[in-house]
Amino acid sequence: MIWQTLYDNLPFLMHGTWVALQLLAALLALGLVLGLTLALGQVYGPWPARLGGWAFERVFRGVPAVVLLLLFYYGVTDFVALSSFLAAVLALGLRSAAYQSQIFRGAIQSVPAGQMQAARAIGMGRWQAIRTIVLPQAARHAIGPWTNEFSSELKATSLAYVIGVVELTRQAKYIVSNTQGNILIVFGVVALIYFIVNRLGNAVLYRVEARLAVPGFERRSP
Amino acid sequence: MEFLDFAGEHLPFILEGVPVTLGLWILAISFGFVFGLVLAWCRIYAPTPLYLLATGYIEIFRGTPMLVQMFFIYLGLPEVGIVLDPFTSAVVAIGLNTSAYQAEYFRAALLSVPQGQMQAARAMGMGQTQALIHVILPQALRRVLPQWSNEAILELKFTSIAFAIGVSEITARAEQVGYRTFEFFDVFLLVALVYLVLTGVVAEVLQWVERRVHVPGVTTTGAAAG
Amino acid sequence: MTKSDEEVLRVEDLHKRYGDHAVLRGVSLTLTRGEAKVVMGSSGTGKSTLLRCINHLSPPDAGRVLLEGQPLTPATLNAMRRHIAFVFQDFNLFTHLKVIDNVRLGQRRILKRSKAAATERAMQELERVGLADRAHYYPAQLSGGQQQRASIARALAMDPKVILFDEPTSALDPELTGEVVTVMKQLASEGMTMLVVSHEVGFARTAADEIVFMDGGTIVEQGPPSTLFANPAHERTRAFLKVITHQESA
Repeated sequence: MIWQTLYDNLPFLMHGTWVALQLLAALLALGLVLGLTLALGQVYGPWPARLGGWAFERVFRGVPAVVLLLLFYYGVTDFVALSSFLAAVLALGLRSAAYQSQIFRGAIQSVPAGQMQAARAIGMGRWQAIRTIVLPQAARHAIGPWTNEFSSELKATSLAYVIGVVELTRQAKYIVSNTQGNILIVFGVVALIYFIVNRLGNAVLYRVEARLAVPGFERRSP
Repeated sequence: MEFLDFAGEHLPFILEGVPVTLGLWILAISFGFVFGLVLAWCRIYAPTPLYLLATGYIEIFRGTPMLVQMFFIYLGLPEVGIVLDPFTSAVVAIGLNTSAYQAEYFRAALLSVPQGQMQAARAMGMGQTQALIHVILPQALRRVLPQWSNEAILELKFTSIAFAIGVSEITARAEQVGYRTFEFFDVFLLVALVYLVLTGVVAEVLQWVERRVHVPGVTTTGAAAG
Repeated sequence: MTKSDEEVLRVEDLHKRYGDHAVLRGVSLTLTRGEAKVVMGSSGTGKSTLLRCINHLSPPDAGRVLLEGQPLTPATLNAMRRHIAFVFQDFNLFTHLKVIDNVRLGQRRILKRSKAAATERAMQELERVGLADRAHYYPAQLSGGQQQRASIARALAMDPKVILFDEPTSALDPELTGEVVTVMKQLASEGMTMLVVSHEVGFARTAADEIVFMDGGTIVEQGPPSTLFANPAHERTRAFLKVITHQESA
């Protein structure tokens, strides 16, 4: 009975997982581009960039994800039409940018100043030195914390439930409503799916970290 | 001006949710503190079966979303006869979740206390538990405080998830105002400001505590967590 | 406390191995009341392990330790350790406690003394090691020599029947060893029963009743300092003494 229910609903769960993964990929990508820009601005930019970055981080790290989702979906759609999915990408993506900016800023600052000086001394421009010398090293510092960020954003995608994105958690809620029961088993299975995706994602990122490892940037002990 | 009028009219109603939010938060992180310590103890000192149980617990609660855990407890547990009201469900869900994170911070902090401290306590004639209470824990807790504060503030923001199961905290009240006035942007902007102030004040308080209990030579375990 | 032939500590045939390496291979010794015994020997000969086995910080593989005739067993361990104080090489003062609270903790929690009694006694012992004015400092605010003297005060406040010193000066800068040695000499002259692992020749010569020389996990020679320093019987003792007395005069 339970298994039949699960089997019948498997396509919905798979579709929900797919939507969650799309949301995750989009928000992480937005967070990556914007977060890196903010971090570079805060480390190398003029004071307005530093102040702006600081304020952005403050705001988007200080407001709960749920409130950001509601603000971007119900609030912003007062002015422009946004699908709930797009609102979720923006809300969670901007929030992730604040967290990623902090990760990248720390990583860039942990590259010794001598590296930049050495690059400039052999005649590189500032931007060229950042791109070819500083960022490759910073990436190796950042990958560990970034793996944590991946995990917490995967879990945050479930919050898009509150604005009606039909991702994994909402699919589960639909199934529970339609079948009048099996709540524990359905949410148990959903939890398992998140758990597996998280593990797989972490495994891939550990692999990347191992690939990037060069002497002096050894892998963290697990 | 329009926003200020709006805020003046609806802020009191939203602020009535502050005691609920703070109550939920304090109960959940206190529960997480106690249970997190127990889990950390299991991970370091307990025999293998308990170690495995604690490890599995931590993996599961850190590997799955809090909202799913909350639905599991609020909607699912009645199937096996455990019926909890929304507020209690939220306390249990957030408490169980944060205990898994706190446990890992506590474990690292306990292990970071130099071994000589335990040896000196044992050499004096203290039992292991006595040494843990009087010597190891006071140092470990001071070392972990900055990370613990981060975790506590994170959980303060997570209390807003309880709105999804109908707890009448700040976010839920804001949504009610939204449906009454249809000024969604204003009301959620307002509640965002409320959270900014709330997390700002809590951060100040926790930093004050950090300064208060600071002891020269007992420093943090490492870089603050993100 | 006065010297007598009454036996305080008796160590019988201690054995300890770490993996393949036999660190202690049958060590026996006794301390009578008021006796100060110094254990010497090159590094890696098991001196520190001996001390750690005596109060079972590292449980011995075989052999017995008796305090006033009572054997240390897992059941009696905590009750008996309070009578065997231990002074560590790296002090191990409780980092989160002020000096006075370091000296009070064991008195309060183990001996169950009243706060007033513990405070009075703590100040008395801090006075004795010359640290009364540092009572309300934290360990991190003290020099190494001061920390070690504070840890000696912590040991004394427990009314130990014997104090074990594990290389108490070897983690100190040379200019700070003197203040610790002075305190230890004073204790010896007041009749404290002590077993000291140390290379402090000055202390050994003037304050020790007997020198024990260890090599390869056993005791190869023991006797009063006058005899042992002037006329060592064993080849290894001669070689070792030559090195450390040379270092001392250098």
